[in-house]
Amino acid sequence: MAKSRRHHNLPDVVRPNLLEDIFPYDLPPKIRFDGPAVEYIDGKPVQFDFSTVKDRDIVITDTTFRDGQQSLPPYSVDQMVKIYDLLSRLGGPNGVIRQTEFFLYTKNDRLTLDRCRELGHRYPECTGWIRAVKGDFRLVKEAGLRETGLLTSCSDYHIFHKLKFPSHKACMDSYCEVVQAAFDAGVRPRCHLEDVTRADIERFVLPFVDRLMEMSEGVPEELSVKIRLCDTMGFGVSYPGAELPRSIPKLIYKLNRECGVPSNRLEWHGHNDFHKVHINGTTAWLYGCDALNSTLFGFGERTGNPPLEGAVFEYIALKGSLCGIDTLAITELADYMRSIGLPIPDNYPFAGHSFNVTRAGIHAGGLRQDERIYNIFDTEKLLGRPPRVAITDKSGADGVVHWVNEFFGLKGDDRINKIKVHRLARWVIDQYDVDGRLTPISDQELAAKAKEFFPDYWAKYKANV
Amino acid sequence: MATVEERVKMVTAKVLDLSPEEIQLEHSFTEDLGAESVQSIELVAMFEEEFGIEMDEDAALAVTTVGGAVDFITKVCKEQGVAIEE
Repeated sequence: MAKSRRHHNLPDVVRPNLLEDIFPYDLPPKIRFDGPAVEYIDGKPVQFDFSTVKDRDIVITDTTFRDGQQSLPPYSVDQMVKIYDLLSRLGGPNGVIRQTEFFLYTKNDRLTLDRCRELGHRYPECTGWIRAVKGDFRLVKEAGLRETGLLTSCSDYHIFHKLKFPSHKACMDSYCEVVQAAFDAGVRPRCHLEDVTRADIERFVLPFVDRLMEMSEGVPEELSVKIRLCDTMGFGVSYPGAELPRSIPKLIYKLNRECGVPSNRLEWHGHNDFHKVHINGTTAWLYGCDALNSTLFGFGERTGNPPLEGAVFEYIALKGSLCGIDTLAITELADYMRSIGLPIPDNYPFAGHSFNVTRAGIHAGGLRQDERIYNIFDTEKLLGRPPRVAITDKSGADGVVHWVNEFFGLKGDDRINKIKVHRLARWVIDQYDVDGRLTPISDQELAAKAKEFFPDYWAKYKANV
Repeated sequence: MATVEERVKMVTAKVLDLSPEEIQLEHSFTEDLGAESVQSIELVAMFEEEFGIEMDEDAALAVTTVGGAVDFITKVCKEQGVAIEE
């Protein structure tokens, strides 16, 4: 170890090197690569050049209305139409948010789909989600959809213990019958390989995908099977050296290069049971999966799915430009979600109330000198959310009343005046003058006091949030 | 019933922790009586509570002296039909 040490001279630097080519501030920091990644697959080194991601047509797909809704009370039709409209704006004219999927089983499912399509947006394209049941293709055809997801569970937990197939072959034959039914109906099947990160890769997944590829050779390109890799329990692992079935690099390599599934027909769908959901999705992009399936704010079954807004910023960071994305729609979507009773944690990146609020006095001092010091990028420009400082003894009644009106979302004539916040302003001052406090007051503390001092406003604006 | 002046002095004394006898009509709330920013807000709030009136924020905070407050509150009470002893 000592022999490999290298001395590093300290040059005479008198001008700041702000690395603005990587941290442009008016965009999220760029992610750049300076060499290939190497993964050992079946004992042999395989190189992956991540820099090609800049030129690949990687996309985000959405499952807010399907997986996202499986963890929440159902959305109303109007709510889904509103969310779809904002998703379209967010993804922009280039279709960075390329597709979203809908249930097709109830009258409301169909009504929602119809109303979303009536908006006339090209993107996200509406696709379906059905069981792997031949009869369900009638629903897809009736809805006039070109593509539908269908559940093809592939771990032995599912094949043997849930679906009670007697063998891998029986299971594969059954799935392939449904795929054939999709072809016959003129609908593109998107096979959701449920629980793939816990599956028998060599003895089921690869032979099954081989067969799907063979079947696809007999149909037009627009009907050829797409594959969604579903990390149903969040077991996927991103780093090199991990073994199958948990290795995302190896899974994608096997399907992409051994089975020959083109990147534009591969999609990753993750879950957050082990806090890996976002990086696993990005890893799938980098190793050759073009589509990253996600949900707004990560709402989804159990611990949730890859957060769509996180994928959006990752996309911009990898591409180095906005590519038509309207990031301001993220803030509108977050506000809308909160308005319909779906909580977003205060510290939740990009959308939580306090994601860019500094509580440390020393950080507040830094922000005053140059907001870039403690702000991740120009959050006012990209999200309509300037960096904020939590209330302190220096805030005065003006600061307190500003906080109260923002907290309750009061605008125009509904805004509370300074006189009405005198008790809260006094409480703030006394925290420092009487109690000797030295730290900023958090939004949580202020919210508790707001509940105490403004019970009528709390009942009207916060009780159901 | 106490007069408006007596009631204004009483509230001012309570908020600023002074004796009512120390307070003169010509006194400035901030320069003579030492009212800090938040105490100015508290004074207006306490006047509203004492007289049962609602005052325009900007107009009320523009009043600088005790005598000015007596005149302003008298006017607002009359406008809002609140009985007072002048």
